[in-house]
Amino acid sequence: MNVVIASSSIDGGIGCWDLKTGAEQLRYKTCASPPHGLTSVGCRFLACSQLRDPSAASGHLLYWSWSKPQAQVKSFPAEPIKPLIANSDGTYIVGGGSSGDIYIWEVATGRLLKKWHAHYRAITCLVFSEDDSLLISGSEDGCVRVWSLFMIFDDVRRQQVSHLYEYSFTEHTLRVTDIVIGYGGGNAIIVSASEDRTCKVWSLSKGRLLRNVVFPSIIDAIAIDPGEHVFYAGSRDGKIYIAALNAESSPSDNYGLHIIGSLTDQSKPVTCLAYSAEGNLLLSGSEDGMIRVWDVKTQNITRMFRHSKGPVNNIVIVRLPYPLGRAESKSQPSSRKHELSLPPPLEKYANSTDEDMDNKAIVMLPDTIDLPSYLSSQLINDHIKQLQQQGSSAVAEMEAKRLKADCQRSMEMFQQLRKVYDNLQEFCVNELLDEQTMEGSKGN
Amino acid sequence: MARFDQLENMYDLGLKPVMLRSLIRQYLPAENHPLNLNNSCFELPSLVSILQTHCLLSELDSQSIDPKLINTWKSAVDDWLSCLLSLLSSDMSDKCWVGICLLGVTCQECSNQRFLSSYSIWLNKLISHIQPPADSQLVKIASCTSLADLLTRLARFPEVKKDGNLLAGKLVQPVLKLLNEDNVEAVWEGAANLLYALIAFFPASIHHYYDKVEAAIASKILPGKYSTKTLKKLGYCLALLPKVKGDKDSWSLMMQKILISIDDHLNEAFQGVEEEAKSDEARRLLVPPGKDLPLPLGGASFKGTSSERLPTATISTLMFCCCKMLISSYPVQVAVPVRSMLALVERLLRVDGSLPHTMLPFMTSVQQELICSELPVLHAYSLELLIAIIKGMRRQLLPHSAYIVRVVTRYFKRCSLPELRIKLYSIIRMLFVSMGVGIAIYLAPDVIENASNDLNSLGGEDIETSPANTGPATGALPQLSNRKRKHGAKTGSLEEKQDAPSPKVGESNTHQMTPITVKVAALDTLEVLLTVGAASKSESWRSSIDSLLMKTAINSCKRGWGNLESNIFLPHESASVWADFQFSSLRALLTSFLAPARVRPPYLSQGLELFRRGKQEAGMKLAQFCAYALFALEVLIHPRALPLDDFYSACHKSTDGASNRFLENIYSGCQKQNTSFLSSLQRTEQVGVESHDDDLYDRWLQNENENQNKKENENITVEDMKDHTSRPNDSSFTNVLEVREQEPAAANADVHMRTENEIVVQPWHLEESVPKAQEVASAKAVMSSAVGTDPEGSEIESKMPLYASDRLNDTNHDMFSFVDKVEGFDNVAGKTSSTFPNAEKGSSSMVHLDSDSSMDSFPGIVDADPDTDSD
Repeated sequence: MNVVIASSSIDGGIGCWDLKTGAEQLRYKTCASPPHGLTSVGCRFLACSQLRDPSAASGHLLYWSWSKPQAQVKSFPAEPIKPLIANSDGTYIVGGGSSGDIYIWEVATGRLLKKWHAHYRAITCLVFSEDDSLLISGSEDGCVRVWSLFMIFDDVRRQQVSHLYEYSFTEHTLRVTDIVIGYGGGNAIIVSASEDRTCKVWSLSKGRLLRNVVFPSIIDAIAIDPGEHVFYAGSRDGKIYIAALNAESSPSDNYGLHIIGSLTDQSKPVTCLAYSAEGNLLLSGSEDGMIRVWDVKTQNITRMFRHSKGPVNNIVIVRLPYPLGRAESKSQPSSRKHELSLPPPLEKYANSTDEDMDNKAIVMLPDTIDLPSYLSSQLINDHIKQLQQQGSSAVAEMEAKRLKADCQRSMEMFQQLRKVYDNLQEFCVNELLDEQTMEGSKGN
Repeated sequence: MARFDQLENMYDLGLKPVMLRSLIRQYLPAENHPLNLNNSCFELPSLVSILQTHCLLSELDSQSIDPKLINTWKSAVDDWLSCLLSLLSSDMSDKCWVGICLLGVTCQECSNQRFLSSYSIWLNKLISHIQPPADSQLVKIASCTSLADLLTRLARFPEVKKDGNLLAGKLVQPVLKLLNEDNVEAVWEGAANLLYALIAFFPASIHHYYDKVEAAIASKILPGKYSTKTLKKLGYCLALLPKVKGDKDSWSLMMQKILISIDDHLNEAFQGVEEEAKSDEARRLLVPPGKDLPLPLGGASFKGTSSERLPTATISTLMFCCCKMLISSYPVQVAVPVRSMLALVERLLRVDGSLPHTMLPFMTSVQQELICSELPVLHAYSLELLIAIIKGMRRQLLPHSAYIVRVVTRYFKRCSLPELRIKLYSIIRMLFVSMGVGIAIYLAPDVIENASNDLNSLGGEDIETSPANTGPATGALPQLSNRKRKHGAKTGSLEEKQDAPSPKVGESNTHQMTPITVKVAALDTLEVLLTVGAASKSESWRSSIDSLLMKTAINSCKRGWGNLESNIFLPHESASVWADFQFSSLRALLTSFLAPARVRPPYLSQGLELFRRGKQEAGMKLAQFCAYALFALEVLIHPRALPLDDFYSACHKSTDGASNRFLENIYSGCQKQNTSFLSSLQRTEQVGVESHDDDLYDRWLQNENENQNKKENENITVEDMKDHTSRPNDSSFTNVLEVREQEPAAANADVHMRTENEIVVQPWHLEESVPKAQEVASAKAVMSSAVGTDPEGSEIESKMPLYASDRLNDTNHDMFSFVDKVEGFDNVAGKTSSTFPNAEKGSSSMVHLDSDSSMDSFPGIVDADPDTDSD
């Protein structure tokens, strides 16, 4: 089941709707999130960075399990974390700090694995590449950087290179507001939006700017069409612009070069976008607290979810392997054991108290299925082969049994003969003795 | 009897009871007749195969079957069973053995109903044969195996789980007794089979005997005197044992015990060939300071073996245990001691038989020779362990991936045994796949270097020119033994030798024969590298790899096609080795064509030829692949950039209703294409049925149109002059194809323009070689008429508008509403869209859509143009 989760910068909880039916699910309480702060960790639970007061020196992170409205685990990182993402199987959580540092935590243990200074100003958004091996970060200083996690974790190589990043794109002049990555592994494109009213398309393979699109207003959110025909840019003037990627754009557009149209229904600024590939739906969140579901095909709104009065600033579409809610109690415990127990909170500092744990990793071993295999017929073949080769010990054993019987027979024979012999001897001795006594009596 | 009932055919169910009865009569020895070993016994396999092929024991039960037949069948199976049971209770061990074996087969074959009704009787009968009074060992083994089969079948009925656990519990002690008291290895193997079934299917039955089972298995593994097969079976049982308890700690404890035991054995084995510091470090990782050492494996401390032989068998069995523990599922999350396992792997791989300086006086050449002879096995197992770590940890290996890469690359430089190299290649492939492009960037140089060496060296394919080939397995061995001997003989000069050992290895690597199997592994690895990492930072190696792969593919195919069907005269693996090589080389070649690149694949034409030949001539599997390759490459030759399905309908809507303001804009892409056909449409003025489905065709015409435009407007200045030089004009039009093929890839910097040329040329190419499709023909018609060099031009020209209108009427339809908008942009639009076909990938097309041409018409829009300055 595909659910939409959304959060707001003003405490309205996390709304959760079934995308197909539109039915609202559980609402997870007490959540006021910064943009890009909401994520689902491997579909097992929800994590969201919290920011009550923008000027506060610390923030916190909350975990919710799917089944309970209350936040269950609270972590206090060393500094306020705004953007937060998890990799696709939910083993790592990455957070961007307001000082420009990026933090990587291991979910299962909560250990802070790595922290590095990535940007000069606060991180605004984080994205993983398709294979989770590259991390793309955007910052308030207008910089977009591409990191290889392999490099980040390689302590030796880190010291040999002048910079950790793979690419650093500096063409944006103001705060980066959103980043999306397209399809194609190392050959993908990255689209970034910034407060300088542009969206820029970058090539991940060539490491350079491919296209610059200037919009009439600041773009706060982008979503890319899975076919990469166009991308959608949600703007502060309330429109969702459609900009060409593969699509041909005519020079005669009203809005500017490469902008081939717009979706409008609202006057309030668009704050976040999400694209559901299943059914080609575009979801937009707005400052009026509504989430609109657009059918990209017809350009019409098919559904509206009301989140709260405050601005919606995160929409995430999560594909859950099982339905939420009522089925909860019925289903077998084995399938939801991951979900029931949430992992421990994230650690504040990298120096772990338990050194032993540094050497270990908490892992769910891969599922393997052993097909039942029967051995008897194979065994028969093996043994027959052994029997045919007369030399084998097993055969010798059977042979030995027969020999034993032979032996026993011989023993019996021997006994018999011995008896005969004994009798004979006795007879002879008796004969002799008798003769002697006879002779003796004669001699006397 | 119903003997005269005609049986329909071999599928007739009536046949089965009859067959079963005659089998009983023919094969099963009667109670009072002695069994003739040489006769009926040897027929058992054929009896089993008949039973299994015809499902004689299955007692199919369905409505459609005649109830009389069901009864006949049932009584036949009853007879079969009573016959088996009487054999089972015979006091002659050979008869008994037959009965036990066949009962095992029956457990597998009989119907569910029969199994459930009688499994406990069978189990009790069988138990009596593994208990003292001791019977013949064949009987014991057979009973163990039959019991294992019985448990396997029983585990498939969840409703009897509880009863099953109870019955299985009765088996544990006899099994332990067999393991502990019997002294025949074959019996242990049988006991291991049964133990595996118990642990895997009825773990609850083992629960109370956990420690005893561990001790029994350890007592067999630790001396390491027995055959690998038995040890592996026992090791597998040991690896599965923690599942019995199923909690986090038992797994960790077992893993720690095994690792410590390996460590102990290694300390003993590697005395003198490694420095003390290494072993101390390994131990510190295993048992963190301040923590207690767990009890040794099996509970009792292990007495060292004599120094005569190395405990290789023990170490390798224990490592096999580790592997199995890592890749079998476990009910809860476990803490895997990654660091200590990686340290173990590194420690093993580091030891190569050479002596550290400090140890020179303490080693005799005999000891060193001993170690050197055993090392390949240990290395193989440590690579296996590395594979298991990667499999088990998956993404969570990330913090350790750099360490692994260092271990692997360091070992790659020294490793020259074919088997080990193949394993190394497979490790690298796994790393690429699981860690993605991030690791590929950094690992690529090493892989390229090693794979190139392997592929460039002489190998099996040059078998005719190098009669010295001694076969794959021994190809690399002489070198190793050579080194060994030198070590042994010249102990005095060891130091000078150690100063420069690596160049010698590297050097000899390139000169010696590389077995085909290694080449196959190298090709597969290059293929994965290309799929994962071709897009990122590949400039330095890409062209050399492309040419290497082409060369290899041509070499592999020059002597005809390998036969995948196994030759019955050869052992199974060696039969298809050549076909595997061809298959791998062709697959790698296809990947090199398809992988993202900045230039058109330079060897495309040779490759296509190879695939075409393969499709016609090669065996089934190869031909199938070649056909697939040709199919996949089609898209490279005719690039597509089709809009999503949804956008077509959006376009439809816009032209129909036009109520939505947005739609007018979104499909401006359509409109712009239309503009390029303005001239032809004006000529035709036909309106036909709409068709949206041939975008490609439109583009063909665009190219045409573009040509036309160019001819009409000589003042196109925006375009690079470079393009003009290679652009086909009237006179050299037909030569362009050859020109393109001869051109070195790098010569033409502007790739996309090359692509464009190709497209313009394509119709001619197709016309010459293949039966033309309608579209192609029409495209050609349009083109030739425009170019005007075709002698038949005039004739075709008359048809041309018709073709064009068929395809272009969609454009016509919405044309008129937009004519005012687009007027004056004919040339510009034509040119812009001409670059569009090059959109093999989003990025490349964007470069061009962004291009200069539109700048003229919209000077007001500020556009940072990345393309102009970078190209």
